[in-house]
Amino acid sequence: MRRWVVLALAASPALPLAGQSVRGRLEGRIPSAAIPAVDSLIQFASQDGLPTEPLIQKALEGGAKHVAEPRIVAAVQLSLGQLRDARDLLIRAGDQPPVLPAEMTTVAWALRRGLPTPLVERVAAALGRPPRAAAMHAVADLVAHRFDPDSAVGLIIEAVHDGVPRERLLDVSTAVLQQVQRGHTRAEALAMVQRQLPNLPAPAKPPRGNVAGARRPASPVPP
Amino acid sequence: MSTIDPRIHQVLDGELAADAVPSELRRAVVQLAAAAGLLAAPPASPAASLESRVMAEIRRPVPSRAHRLMRWLVTPRAIILRVRPAWSVAFAVVVAALTLFTADDGGPELAEHEGIAQFVGQFPEAQSVHVVGTFNDWRPGSIALEDHDHDGVWRATVVLPAGTYEYMFVVDGERWVPDHLAERLVADNFGRENSVVIVRPVRR
Repeated sequence: MRRWVVLALAASPALPLAGQSVRGRLEGRIPSAAIPAVDSLIQFASQDGLPTEPLIQKALEGGAKHVAEPRIVAAVQLSLGQLRDARDLLIRAGDQPPVLPAEMTTVAWALRRGLPTPLVERVAAALGRPPRAAAMHAVADLVAHRFDPDSAVGLIIEAVHDGVPRERLLDVSTAVLQQVQRGHTRAEALAMVQRQLPNLPAPAKPPRGNVAGARRPASPVPP
Repeated sequence: MSTIDPRIHQVLDGELAADAVPSELRRAVVQLAAAAGLLAAPPASPAASLESRVMAEIRRPVPSRAHRLMRWLVTPRAIILRVRPAWSVAFAVVVAALTLFTADDGGPELAEHEGIAQFVGQFPEAQSVHVVGTFNDWRPGSIALEDHDHDGVWRATVVLPAGTYEYMFVVDGERWVPDHLAERLVADNFGRENSVVIVRPVRR
């Protein structure tokens, strides 16, 4: 941990303006004692080509949860390491640097959800950027429901190759889960949906009443 | 009754040439010949008797129900509407009010990249429930859930840009609780788990 913080502190004078805006978001939201270390980690991530918004969010989350200052710094540092791991994974999978921040965030998120690294690497290597994030979510959903990871990845990659658009990849995993709810085994459910590809049941739309009652938060932050 | 000059009979019967009679008789001959022609010609269309016309009407096939309905629908009719101006004005005011106040019932207009996130939690003893997450900078108090019927089920429906968000519920301003109904959980790097919601664009 100390090595990262020292590196980050060494890099921090290089980006004074960016640091000011980050500090502005952190001040009053996390313990003031944590701000220098967190700010330095964020500047270091920025210099290293890593996305900074997940780190800011992690610090704000820690502050909102009234987590002690050392644990906030540690969590931000852990998130920084996960983003680096994600970038390394994507480069191993064939992405050319600089890797897009959104891709790193997606892969880091998939790893945090517990997907094994080789599995994430397989998805990243098999699929191009546009459907990759949705595919990761779909695979993670299936693995979270104790489907065989290799079979889950195989199904989702096949769905992409069969022409299922990225915005409907979550419907693939949903269709599989529905077959299990109807009493089929996991293997049967995977096979049934695989046979139907690229046809999928229509996704459920939110009831009209819910849409009518929807409201916007004061200042939503883009993911 | 006046008698007809016998020479006229002879001319009409062709026994005597028309030139052989005086001119006044000749005019009478012409008129009589015209009258005789009219009487001798057959009528252009024989006038149908009343009986035959009634029978023809009876023999005409009865139109189908659909045909009669269609004829009833397309036949113009006069409708007399008696209105009291006071009631008419009141009716117009009510219609205008309903139109104005129900215009927003469709909810907020969603952009192409936006979707709906629904948050539901069961907290029977709670006085307040908020949802905080990466969509609102983890700022407590910005999105409140509501329990209108006081059954302990708190709800909020929020418009968000499509994407993946981590969140938790904050009950009574101090108790942080993950969404037990959420299908996705992720480690929060503080030793607990956040719930995850994936907002999909409504317009796909």
